[in-house]
Amino acid sequence: MSDDNKRGLAKAQEIYNNRGRYARGLKEHGKKIFGYFCCYPPIELLTALDIVPVRILGDMEEPVTLADNCLPPVMCIFCRSAFDLGMKGQYDYFDGFVGSHACDAAERTSIIWANYIKSPCNFHLDIPHTAHQAAVDFFREQIEYFQAGLEEFVGENIKPDALKNAIAAHNHQRALVRELYELRKPDPPLLSGTEMLKVLIAIMGMAVEDGNLLLNEVIQEVKERDNVQEKKSRLMIWGSLIDNAAFTELIESSGLNIVIEDTAIGTRPFWHDIRDTENPLQGVAEHYLQEVLCPRTFRDSGRNYNQDSEMRFGYLKEFAKYWKVNGVFANIIRNCDVHGYEVPVIKDYLEGLGLPVLVIEQDYSTASLQSLRTRFQAFAETIES
Amino acid sequence: MRDVLANSSLSFEEIDYIVATGYGRINVPFADQQVTEIKCHMRGVHSLFPNVRTIIDIGGQDSKGIKVKDGRLVDFIMNDKCAAGTGRFFEVIADVLGVKLEEIGQRSLLSEHPANISNLCTVFAEQEALMRLSEGTSVEDILAGIHKANACRIYTMVARIKIEKDVAITGGGAMNIGLVKALERKIGFPVVVAPEPLITGALGAALIAGETAAALGPRKLEGMKEKRRLEAVTFFDQESKPEHGKWH
Repeated sequence: MSDDNKRGLAKAQEIYNNRGRYARGLKEHGKKIFGYFCCYPPIELLTALDIVPVRILGDMEEPVTLADNCLPPVMCIFCRSAFDLGMKGQYDYFDGFVGSHACDAAERTSIIWANYIKSPCNFHLDIPHTAHQAAVDFFREQIEYFQAGLEEFVGENIKPDALKNAIAAHNHQRALVRELYELRKPDPPLLSGTEMLKVLIAIMGMAVEDGNLLLNEVIQEVKERDNVQEKKSRLMIWGSLIDNAAFTELIESSGLNIVIEDTAIGTRPFWHDIRDTENPLQGVAEHYLQEVLCPRTFRDSGRNYNQDSEMRFGYLKEFAKYWKVNGVFANIIRNCDVHGYEVPVIKDYLEGLGLPVLVIEQDYSTASLQSLRTRFQAFAETIES
Repeated sequence: MRDVLANSSLSFEEIDYIVATGYGRINVPFADQQVTEIKCHMRGVHSLFPNVRTIIDIGGQDSKGIKVKDGRLVDFIMNDKCAAGTGRFFEVIADVLGVKLEEIGQRSLLSEHPANISNLCTVFAEQEALMRLSEGTSVEDILAGIHKANACRIYTMVARIKIEKDVAITGGGAMNIGLVKALERKIGFPVVVAPEPLITGALGAALIAGETAAALGPRKLEGMKEKRRLEAVTFFDQESKPEHGKWH
């Protein structure tokens, strides 16, 4: 468990630095821990059974070695890194693992996780790649199987109100994260991108109620403290996730303030609430399939190129407007096909809005970060000129 | 810095404002501002050739494409993960073929049948050049093939930010006539080369420093100067440097 004397941002920083130790501490206190991969598994069901969901991440500082015996190097290095950590025993505290067919790389990783890492309980969620009604119905059915499997593993059924309460707690968390995003609207923002990343990674390894307490502390602290940020050009990040503060620190020390991130450790898991539906699983299925806006899901397209772009990326225009964005960094982890394929169209769309776009395909390694400094600094100079 | 001052009639205190640029810019303790070599090359070239819209900078460690509009930096692209398309590539090939680096460009122009060099990885291209040599291909033809392949790689990268007239080439690559000609063939029209293409970035940094100093005014500059100290630029861990100045 973390040092109880720490609160707010200091506590978030400590949990960010020691995710494994924090999770093992929870386990010593009798909690069950399930790891989940990507932001698609419906963690509300885990919370409803008093299981703590821990988001599986990679490590940009750890060279991938053991995973390369099982996964091909042409695959997304984030997935390979996460699997590598699993092979090295860093997730050996998991009572269960929940993977999904979020993207092809996540699917392969999830399936072989069960073969090689052998968490006591393994689930693989088949998530459709379209979001129309038949796909939602199919996904709801998958979640029903998931629920039944979880109940069998734990040896008890989810109580009628437990799922609704879990959904409410996670919705509350989503609202608190959005409140934190509001604090990044001023210029300069009241909270840096690095601080935000640490808070989000911390709460993705905590029981939801503990995470909500932490978020409340952070919001209060940020509102009350003197603004410590400098005025710089305001950057939106779109694309593959960033899970290491060394990366955001590099960006923010190159003349840019990160103000919003449309990534899987950013707005995506938190931007929409799960609706209250008669069958709660219906609301869960609709939310994950239709409202978590990763390009792994194909959405209805318009009749022509411009309409199609508008329907798919219109929300980025809103982000840019309300967060007063000056430029966009399209972050592509090498071999992340899902985001890589979107680059030409999203660049075209954002530049059409007058927003300069910096595209970098990076190696998911802190060792190769410094070579990116010139790119970020030159991008800041482009915006300034 | 002391060497530079010794060769001029200036003292350190007479310098109003210092801009550091290039790979080492973050390690210059007495600089007032760091500006990337991308912006500095742009400013330097724009002052020499106001009509230039695209700059191709071929340095020892990377190559870059830079777009200029009305004297402003509007876009850029760079490769820095691989030695292909950079000066380092030519250094390796010159060494393998036993030709002086300064001569490879001129000799490549003597070729009538450029060799087909398919591989652009520096290590594999080195092997490929040796293989062509063993097959009896002339050094000139190999050099022409190498220049053609590199020009193609650089062109493909810069084309991603759209090559628009006029085009200037800077950096050490601009001093290689074979590469300049190969790029011109690929681009389809002549390019311009600054008289001193190695220091257009330094020229740009000086122009930016001059403008900034003028905007700050004498009072602010005096305050900044008082705090500035002429310290050694450190690129290495000084403690691990051996006593006799030689690296083991």
